[in-house]
Order: sequence, then structure tokens, then C-alpha cells
Amino acid sequence: MSQNPAKPKNEVSLRRWTKGPNFRWNLFLVALLAAECIVFGIANPKFLSLTRIFTSANSDLPIWYISIFVTFVMITGGIDIQSCAIVGLTSIIIGVAWQDFGLNIWIAALLAILVAAACGALSGFFVAYCGVQAMVVTLGGSFLYSGLGLLVSTLSSTEAYKGISGFPDSFKALTKIKLFGVVPLQILIFLVMLGIAYLLLHRTKYGRKVFLVGVNPSAAEYSGVNSRRVVMSTYILSALAASITGVVMTSQLGTAKADLGGNFTMTIITACVLGGTLSTGGKGSAIGTALAAVSITLLRFGMPLCFNVNKQYLDIPIGMLLVVVVVGRAIASNPMVVAKVAKRFPAAKKAAG
Amino acid sequence: MERNEVSQNPTPLLSVKDIYKSFGLNAVLKGISLDVMPGEVLALIGGNGAGKSTLMKIIMGLYTYDGGELSIQGEPVVLNRTSDALERGIYMVPQEPLLFPNMTVEENILIGFRQSKAELHRELLATMKEAGWDLDLSRKASSLSIAEQQLVEILRGLLRHAQLLILDEPTSALTFDEVKSLFRCVSDLRSKGIGIIYITHRLAEVFEIATHVAIMRDGVITIQGPISGFVREDLVKGLLPPDSDTEAAQKERSTEVRPVDYTAAPVLELKDFSGYGFSGINMKVYPGEILGVAGVVGAGRTEMATTIFGMDKVLGGQVLLNGQDITGKKTRQVIQAGLNYVPEDRHLNGLFKICDVAANTTSANLFSAHMGRFLLDHRYEWKVTQGYIEKFRTKVTGQDQLAGSLSGGNQQKIVIGRSLSTSPGIVILDEPTRGIDAAARGDVYHIIHQLREQGVSVLLISSDMEEMVELADRVVVMYQGRLNAEFRQDSINQDNLTAAAFGILEKEGVGA
Amino acid sequence: MSVEKKILKARETTSFLFLVALFLIVGIINPSFLTPSNISACFNTSVVYTLIAVGMAFAIFVGEIDVSVGSNMGLVAAVVGTMIQNGSNWLVAFLVGILIGVIVGLVNGWGVAVMKVPSLIFTLGTNGILRGLMYLQVGVEQVNQLPKAFKDIASMTLIGSFTIYYCCAVVLTIIIHYLLTNTRRGRYFIAVGDNVGGAELVGIPATRTKVLAYVICGVLSAVAGIIFCSRIGIVTSLSGNGYEMKAVAACVLGGISLSGGVGSVIGAGIGAVIMASISYLLVFMGFSSNYDNAITGVILITIVVVDALMQRRAAVRNRHARLAARTLAAVSEKEGEQ
Repeated sequence: MSQNPAKPKNEVSLRRWTKGPNFRWNLFLVALLAAECIVFGIANPKFLSLTRIFTSANSDLPIWYISIFVTFVMITGGIDIQSCAIVGLTSIIIGVAWQDFGLNIWIAALLAILVAAACGALSGFFVAYCGVQAMVVTLGGSFLYSGLGLLVSTLSSTEAYKGISGFPDSFKALTKIKLFGVVPLQILIFLVMLGIAYLLLHRTKYGRKVFLVGVNPSAAEYSGVNSRRVVMSTYILSALAASITGVVMTSQLGTAKADLGGNFTMTIITACVLGGTLSTGGKGSAIGTALAAVSITLLRFGMPLCFNVNKQYLDIPIGMLLVVVVVGRAIASNPMVVAKVAKRFPAAKKAAG
Repeated sequence: MERNEVSQNPTPLLSVKDIYKSFGLNAVLKGISLDVMPGEVLALIGGNGAGKSTLMKIIMGLYTYDGGELSIQGEPVVLNRTSDALERGIYMVPQEPLLFPNMTVEENILIGFRQSKAELHRELLATMKEAGWDLDLSRKASSLSIAEQQLVEILRGLLRHAQLLILDEPTSALTFDEVKSLFRCVSDLRSKGIGIIYITHRLAEVFEIATHVAIMRDGVITIQGPISGFVREDLVKGLLPPDSDTEAAQKERSTEVRPVDYTAAPVLELKDFSGYGFSGINMKVYPGEILGVAGVVGAGRTEMATTIFGMDKVLGGQVLLNGQDITGKKTRQVIQAGLNYVPEDRHLNGLFKICDVAANTTSANLFSAHMGRFLLDHRYEWKVTQGYIEKFRTKVTGQDQLAGSLSGGNQQKIVIGRSLSTSPGIVILDEPTRGIDAAARGDVYHIIHQLREQGVSVLLISSDMEEMVELADRVVVMYQGRLNAEFRQDSINQDNLTAAAFGILEKEGVGA
Repeated sequence: MSVEKKILKARETTSFLFLVALFLIVGIINPSFLTPSNISACFNTSVVYTLIAVGMAFAIFVGEIDVSVGSNMGLVAAVVGTMIQNGSNWLVAFLVGILIGVIVGLVNGWGVAVMKVPSLIFTLGTNGILRGLMYLQVGVEQVNQLPKAFKDIASMTLIGSFTIYYCCAVVLTIIIHYLLTNTRRGRYFIAVGDNVGGAELVGIPATRTKVLAYVICGVLSAVAGIIFCSRIGIVTSLSGNGYEMKAVAACVLGGISLSGGVGSVIGAGIGAVIMASISYLLVFMGFSSNYDNAITGVILITIVVVDALMQRRAAVRNRHARLAARTLAAVSEKEGEQ
């Protein structure tokens, strides 16, 4: 490192970009994306169509939107498995508030987002201030919020299984608009969310606190950081992301249903872990998670299209991906393994170092 | 070290010969030889970092040793894991009892045995009756007092037919009555021919309970032999470094600097300050003064510091910072008021290991506007971090190096830099040189002197008496949660400090 | 010492009383509920949950978690179902099912205990793999051509109107409880979860104990899968989905602390009955089953929050008492000297 303070700016920005959060892992993820495009593209040229990819992305929206904010939760050392329930809850609140209480559709959406934020705050409060394991609280939350969704749906005159439909065009247009005729608005929303997440996590004081709390909550307290408030706020953020997902998916399907979120929990966690988030907290990046989420979508899209793999089997490669990544990291960080590798391949180590 | 006279007696329970152990370049044990005979209570005394706990871990089979020989009852042994030591009749009662909090007393004692439960139960009752102890076996371990937990641990050892019990600072958390009953128990065990290694910080106890004594200092044994051959002063001498000449020179150097103005208004004032682990503390710290707080581990110094810093509940009294009442304020408010704290345990409370140097240095500064209103000001961060790297001569490959990959001394410099980055008027340094090498120690001393020059007050908590002598303008000594002595200028020497820290010496006029 | 301790002491008793109170309240609201057949139905329907919850209890005892049990159960149900449907020997089919359980347990145990991957993440991964394998086995079709004799076992009763399966599950739970509390190795599970450091100090092999806990969990899930197959008679590719969450909830309801080292398998069994009967009870109380999830969630969160707060209070109090003892020692010592 140069000791010359005359040119800090260039150095800082260069450092942030090249050695900054997760840079090498992100490169790997970009390579993975490229490899997917090449392999699937060769196997079936139909794969290489933006329209098709964007269409397939629509069904994977929960993964994209939610995982970048669940990353925040995981960086603080927690986990959030209630997001899918919140997606459904948001959706049904929009439907019921609009159809049965006669609210303006946009106000209904805003109301749903506020309720979701409150749900996130509640779970976050229990995790941060009562010291309950995040896993159990959000498990309880997933029961509670999906249950609430069902209850809200009983307020409606429409049968729950049918879902509420017939929304105004302006609301449905949210997901019909295509920029330049190709890029759907959902993708733009994703990019905006990603931009916000990136700024929050890597550029603001808040994001720095999230990392510090995840690395060492006690040391963060000694630095005067209010660890509990930071932890709680991450759950609110992930609930907000889930609620935006709920709004977008409701608009996209044109139907409000209590079980809209499906069960993407495993895929969301996989995206976070594959994106370089350390499951014990303290490490992770918004860009990494986004890249991982996109590559998972490509996998889910490409496998059936190019290799005739049944869509339902896709849990296998995704599960394998998760296991391989976490075990691989465990092996790579095991000091005994590191020592052995260094002993066996001294030349390689030198070359790499 | 000369071999002592016990060699002609029957075979020792445990014989440690010329044990060496180093961690990396840091030699912790430099040729330790010890014998423990049946029915002997060997008091092992030593300051922090003397190597006592390393030696005990070697005896328990938790660590391997680099050189030397261990024999148990005359047979040379190699202990690879704890169960090897347990099988050979060695049992250690750790300082913090490692019980299973959710199990009953009986389950705690009997776990891991092969015999039938009924048989063990009978044996346990017999052992307890013989020892004359009364303990409700169906209570949950989490409801036991520390003394009772220690009894449980000792029972565990007895039931394993331990011939050698190691008690690691057993009285550090006990009340007076509990200490009495523990001593009775130790005497009983001794009369049964069980050998005991009794690790302690309290010299008074040594004469009450031990038959033999050994003093460790910097990885060697300085004094060893039957207790009857020593008086307190001998033991204190054994705890001190041999070269007392350099001490005077060091003292001279530190008196050259600008004298402290004791008529000025104090920067920090504690009035009858009480909390968990300490009580009735009165002290004043003056501008530009280095006030040492000496004492042994567990004397309540860290608790006092963290309570000032807003980490624990205040039970009484007041803390005034520049005349402003900061009693019971939150950490962040205390930092903003101009006080910062460098924690004792830098791994647990100080360092963000998988964060880079820059993030570590500025972590306490996150709520100041300098770091940006909302977005992080990376230029300011770079400037601050670079400033401390250069000022402290921290060895890093760059600001983006992860703090966990630095050496101990450099990590400590980072943590000190973090606390200074909030420009406090007073810093509390808690054991700032623990576990760092000599060169880094010199650098930390230099930093402390620099602070003094700049008029920043320092409250220096340290168990290292040499450090006190070298750095402090004035020293108060804490013993079992209270201040029991104060020393100024010439009277700051290792004899006085050690004696007061071990509760032997009391000096009036505490509290300035 | 205090009320808290007494509650802690009788964790599964509390759960049992809660269950009884639940039945009584429903009985008061709707007296037609209080018939032997209704009550035994609550127990009988819980048999699959009971076995999975007891298995999950092992993973939680050692301080970990296993969220692959649902898919594990589903896979075993699918494999065993297909084999029996195709006319295999029942015993062979059962053994294959249990072997799958053992392998899954070993893999999970390896990842968590040996490789030290956080258990939630690792078992989430194996969960996905198992679920996918189950699709491979079942495909878009269903296993529904099971021989009648196999399905009939499920409706055989042994004592009163309790089915043979439920009786077996109860006996198994009691045997496991006995082994856990009265054998040397049985105690290891709780000990490892309670205090790993302390366990290693008294010579307990922590890693091996954790692997064994996962294997037991896998085997019990496999048995649950076989019973599921026989009871329901249909295995789809979604069978067992979400059971892992219900099993965790059952354990928590049964008084098992998720931080490990506390609780009993009897508690897990009682918790499973509560979990399984909530929707049944709601019907009798005049609520729709829509309330099922919300009420489960409320109960679950309330229990864990109260539990965590009590534990934290106890920990803080212990620490303060210890620190206070040090200063008191100084006072009494001075008095003693005088």
C-alpha cells in the first residue's frame, strides 16, 4: 500500500472496486453466469432469448427481490424464513382492502406494505430484544403470517381458493410495461432494489453497522453501535422486500391469493449463501446475492428447456449447489486442510501468492 | 531450578521434569520442574501470563509439550487427551466450573461413568458422608452457587478416585464462609493422602492452607519448597522480576515529563461508585494524568470500567466527566461526552476480525458527522485510518487487510486507534499490553506517553506491576472490589503494588 | 429456587397440562367433543408427527437442527410405497426405507458435526436434494396402488380405540426416554447440547454423539415415512412437505429448548399431539381450519419468547450474583479479621 496521502481518492475507489466486498467471489459468479449461458445456449439456442429469460424470471421474482434483503439479515448472523408468508399476506391484504373495503388500489398496496413492515418489526423485535433464535421466531412468523393471510382472505366475499381478481388496469400495467419493448418493469424494479441494497449495505454508515454487528456484536456495542436496533431493522427491510414482491406478483398474476409466496425459502437461502454470504454472519454482498439469484433462475429455466429436466427435479441441483458451496467453504477454511495443501503444493502456493 | 528434597521420599503423585512449551515464537514454559507428593497441598502462585494455566493444561492432556518429561506415580506418561489424565487419577476443577446447567447435581457428577447407576449412587452418598458434605442431589446445577458448583466438581474428581486434584483459583468468586468450608474440604482431602495443586492469587490463603509453595514468573519457577521456609515478603520477592535496577531508571525517565497539575479540576471523578463486582469507589483523574489501577484479575477493575462505559447497571454513586454527570448513560453517549474504553479482551469485545483495518479503526466514529451524514465518507475514513497506521507504526499490508490476520500487537494498536478516533479527553486502557510482544509493548507505551503529552488523561488498568511503575503518575490499587491503597511518585514500586494487590498492604488516604 | 425454576423443572408436565386444558376448554365449548373416539383420534392422527418430533428432538438436544426430516420421510414413504406396490417383500422394503434413513442421518451428521457447517444451512441443502430425489422416485404420478392388507394395519386398534401404530410410537418413545435418562451413553446427547466444553472435559465424544443424533433422527423419520405410507395410502411428490417445521414446533411446544440440552422425548411426543390436534380442535370450537396456522404461530412464538426471556434473566442474575459475591467476600473477610 502506498504511503502517499496525496492521492487518496483514486486509491480508495480502486480498492473498493477490486478488493472490496466479495470481489473475487463475484467474479466467480459472473463466470458461472457466463458458463450457464454458454452451456445452455449450445444445448438449445432458444435459451439465448432475453424475452424468454425475462419471462422465466417473472416466476422467480421472490428469489430475486427477497434474497438481496435477506442477505442483510444473514450478515447480522440471523436468518429469515418468513418472507414467503409475508408475500402471501401482502397479496391478500391488497385484494381484500381493494375489493371488500373499497380502498384505492394504490392505497391498498401501501397499507399492505405497512402491515408487512410491522410483521418484520415484530419478528425482528423478538430476535433482537428478546434474544430468541432467529430461526424459531421466523418459523413461528411463517406460521403466523400465512395464517393471518388465510384469516384476511375469509373477510372477503370471494372463495379463498379462487383468489381475488379484476384489478384496475393501472395496477396490472405495473407489470405489463416493457422498457424499450424488452425489459419488463419488474426487472427495473429489481435493479432499483438492488441499487438501494448496494448503497445501503456497502456505502452508508448503516450498512457498515450491519457488518460490524454481524462480525462481533459485542465489539459493536463497545463501539457505541446499538446492535439490537440494527438487527431489528434488517428484519423490517427483508419484510419490506417481501411486501414489494407481493405487490408486484399480485399485479403480474392479476390475482390476490394468500398462498402467493409459494415455498421459495430454500432457494432464497441458497441464493444468499451462493452469493457469498457467510451463514454465521459478518460477510456478504448485495451484488453477490443478486448474481447468485440470477444464476439460480437461469438454472431453473435452462435445465428444463435444454435438457428436458422436469421442473420438479430442480430441487436436486439447487440443494447440491447449497451443500457443495457450504462444505467447500468449510473445507477451504479448515486450517488442517490449508496446511496440507500448502505442504503438498508449495510451488502452486507460491505462484498463487 | 534445583531439585528439592522430596526425591528421597516415596514416589511422587505427579512429577514434572524440565517441561518446555512455546506457542510460535512465544516461549511460555522455560523448563518447569515440580513434584507433588501424596497429602501435599502445593500452592502455585504467579501473575497473569506466568504460564500457570498452560502448565495445568499440559498436565490435563489438553496441550502437548515441546520438551521434558511427565510422570505419574513414578511412571513416565504421555497424555494425549483429557481422558488419559482422568484415567490416571488427575482431575482439574476449572476456575469457571464447566457443569451442565440443565442437569441435576447427581447427573452432573455421575455422567461418563461405566458402573451401574445404583452402585454409583451408593458410592456418591458414601463419599459425601465421608467428606461430611451436604448437597441436594436433585437440584439443577444452574441454581448452585459457585462454591457449590466447585463442590460438585470436586465430588466428580473424588468419585473418579482422583489422586491429584488441581484447584484453579477456587476462591476467586467465593464468599468468606464458602472459603472456610472449601478450606475444610481441602484439609480433609489432604488427610486422605490426596495431592492437591492449589492455584491462587491470594498470598494470605497460601499460609492458611498450603504445605508447599511454588511461584512461577515468566515461565520459570522462582521459589519452591515447604511453606514453613518462607514468609510473605519472600513470596512477594519471588513474584517480582530479578532486575530491580532497571526499574529505577524507568521511573526516572517517566518523572522527567511535565508534572501533573493536581489543583486543576479533575477530568473524571467517581463518587462512591458501586456496581456489580465493585463498590464504594472514589477516585479522581486529573488532566494529562496517567492514573494506574492495579490489582489482580477479578478484583473488579474491568467491571468498574465497563460500568462507567454504560455496559452494566450502576448500583450507586456518581460518575462525573468534566463535571458532567454521565452515570448510567448509554455507551454512545459516554463516547460522545469524551470518554473511551479499550477493552481487556480484544478478541471478544474489541476486534472485528473479518473486517478490514479501516472499518475497525472508524467503527467507534460511525455516529459522528465526520464519517458522513448518511453515506460513508471513505476519504475521511482513509485519512483517519492512515493517520493511526503511521502514528502507531502499525504493520499492515494495507487498509484493506483483515484485522484478524494481524499480529496481536498490531491488533491492539488498531483497537487503541479506534478508541482515540473519537478524540476523547480520557481513555480507559484495560490491560493494553496483554499477550503482545516486547516491541509492540514499547510502541503501546510510546502511544500512552504521547497521549499524556497531548493532555489526554489515561486510566490504566493493568495487572503488570512493571508497567504501572513505568507509566503511571499515580496508582490506586483495587482488592476484591474496593480501593485499598494509593501510591504516588516514589512509593510506586513493585513491592508496594504487589503487596497491596494481594491484599497484604493497606494504605490510608484512598481516593485522593 | 423460584417459580421460574419450577416451571423449567416440569417442562413436559406443563405441556401435558396444556394439552389437557386444551381438550377441556374445547369440551366446555362443545361437549360433543369429549368422546373417547374424538380424543383418541387426536392421538392417532399425531403418530407421524410424534415419530418425526422425537427424531428432531435428538438433533435439538445436541444443539443442532435437522430441517431435512420432512423430505426424508417423504422419500422413504415413496420408496417403500413403490416397492410394496410392486409386490416386494414388506420386510425388505422396510429395511430399505430404514437404510435410507441411516444414510441421510450419516450425511447430515458428517456435514454438521465433522465439517462444522451450520446445521440449518446444511440440512436445508440435503432437504432440497431429498425432495428432488423424491420427485425422481414418484414423478408426476402418485403411489396409490398399495395392497389393502398394508393399508389395513393403520386402522387396527390395540388398546381401546388407539391404533396399533400409535401404541407402537408411544412404546418406542417411552423406551427411548428410558434409554436417554437411564443409560450412560443416553445422557451424552443432553450433555453435549448443554455444555460442549464441559462434555469434552469429562471425556464425552461430542462429534460422535452428534452424528449418532442425526442417524437416530434419520431412522425415526424413515419409520414415520413407512407409517405415513400405510396410514394415508397415497404418496405424492409433495408428501412430507413442511413436516420439518411442524416437528420443530412440536418440540418447542413440548418444552424442548432450541439452544440444546433441555427437554425430553416425551415432551416432543406431547407437543406432536398438540400440533396434530389443533386443526381438529378448531373444528369443534366452531372455527374454520383457517385459524390453524395463525394459532400455531402465536403459540410457538409466545413459548419461545417467554422461554428466552426467562433464561436470559436467570443468566444475568447468576452473573450479577457472582460479581456481588466477590465484593461481599472483601467485606466479610475484613470483618473476619477484626
